[in-house]
Amino acid sequence: MKELKFLLAVWKANLLSAMEYRAAFLSQAIGMMVNDFMYFVIWIIFFDRFKDVRGWGVNDMYLTYGVLASSFGLVSLLFGNAFYLSDIISKGRLDYYLSFPRPVLLHAVASRMIASGMGDFTYGFISYALSGYFAWDGLFRFVLATLLAATVFAAFLILIQSLAFWLGVMSNLSALALNAMLTFGIYPITLFDNYAKLILFTLIPAALMGAVPAEFIRSFTWQTLMELLVGAVVFLFIAVTVFRLGLKRYESGSAIQVEV
Amino acid sequence: MKSFRKYWAIFQITLINSLAYPGELIGRSLMIIPFMWIFYQLWKVTYAAAGSDVINGLSLGNVMWYLMLAETIELGRPLVARTISENVKDGSIAYLLNKPYDFLLYQFSTVMGETIFRTLMNAIFGGIIVLWLVGPPQHPEGIIIALPAILGAWILHFCVTVMIGLSAFVVEDVSAFMWIYQKLAFMFGGMLIPLDFYPPWLQVIAKALPFSSITYGPARLFVTPTTEFFINVMALQIIWIVVLALLLTFAYRRGVAYLTVNGG
Repeated sequence: MKELKFLLAVWKANLLSAMEYRAAFLSQAIGMMVNDFMYFVIWIIFFDRFKDVRGWGVNDMYLTYGVLASSFGLVSLLFGNAFYLSDIISKGRLDYYLSFPRPVLLHAVASRMIASGMGDFTYGFISYALSGYFAWDGLFRFVLATLLAATVFAAFLILIQSLAFWLGVMSNLSALALNAMLTFGIYPITLFDNYAKLILFTLIPAALMGAVPAEFIRSFTWQTLMELLVGAVVFLFIAVTVFRLGLKRYESGSAIQVEV
Repeated sequence: MKSFRKYWAIFQITLINSLAYPGELIGRSLMIIPFMWIFYQLWKVTYAAAGSDVINGLSLGNVMWYLMLAETIELGRPLVARTISENVKDGSIAYLLNKPYDFLLYQFSTVMGETIFRTLMNAIFGGIIVLWLVGPPQHPEGIIIALPAILGAWILHFCVTVMIGLSAFVVEDVSAFMWIYQKLAFMFGGMLIPLDFYPPWLQVIAKALPFSSITYGPARLFVTPTTEFFINVMALQIIWIVVLALLLTFAYRRGVAYLTVNGG
């Protein structure tokens, strides 16, 4: 409860800070929505020509793209530093967070709000509304699936970026992992054989950010809900554990850092 | 001649500099591997579903080699717009503008220096995986014929991205423009789907725009290296290079007049 109050205070401060530059915030959010739409047009062109990919049509793409965009946007808005954690670790900038009597990981990742995330988050809902699968109970499932997919995504980012405790500078690996997660998340799951699917549920859990949440939104089943819940809990547990193990190895660079 | 030597030296320094961190260079280029693998999965299923070895004149192998070159061109590009935007934000643009060189030619020399090895590494990794997935290209000589078009694509891309970068002189943050340009290049350049698979009306529009000269032209020339297509691609590229270079020069002159430098 104490952590939740702390998180709310950090998010409020982030929002107030972003609102200081209201025009920039809005231009980034709207720019990202246009960007998302333009990327999706390519899929519309593809499915207009080829109709479906092993039973996966353009409506399924709208849905998958929607939940992926909203969960990506949610993490960008609420835990923006999850994208930069390896940089924070390798440059010794964790010192700042260690000096506060608050959970280090939570404080570090929640300390940045990426304005363009609002565009992704909003676009996801629009994409869902256009998918042809819209229903009011489906909207509730969409919100729940977005929360769980965002948990998996944030955990994956923290897990990968925490490797910086051992590997040092690793911007390439984290960019590679992020790109792989988003690319595999958006492509139809029906493309992949069983070995590839195993990878998409474990090493790069893109299925838990795209295909499985989309399946859950389409129609409720306990199996998909459990897959999402278990995935979110397990990945979060692994991410926090790896971060804590890494933190024991952390050495400050004694560099003078200014947190703005 | 003397001024050409100046920019040649800048190009050489950046080129050597790009080799200073081979791990970084290789790591960055590995990104093409998952992209090519997933493209293969998508197009393999699509061709199987169509029940045909050739769709709109392209075989699965053609599509994969086309996408390899398209991705190589895309991933090999340095983020020059972002660099200019950062220079404006932190004030270091002041040190670039008062040096005894032309700002645009300086940027062109550095961008070319950064591009060469990035593109080469992407082509090597992308080429290896596509070779493993679908075998050798139908026309290996196509890569030699496509080289002038690749150079033209770099020049065109440079003109567009520097124009976006110059908008930082007015708006400072250019990321939204970059996203939109990237997606226009994806859509009208045929980055993920060759333009041949587009509806005919959209093909006409896309092929007339500069984006197709940046991606589709060189990549398609690589897989179908005919004299007629070579002339078409090069003619269109030259027209767009002249138009965009003039626009860039104009935008630069106007931009410098607007520029406000933040500290330094």
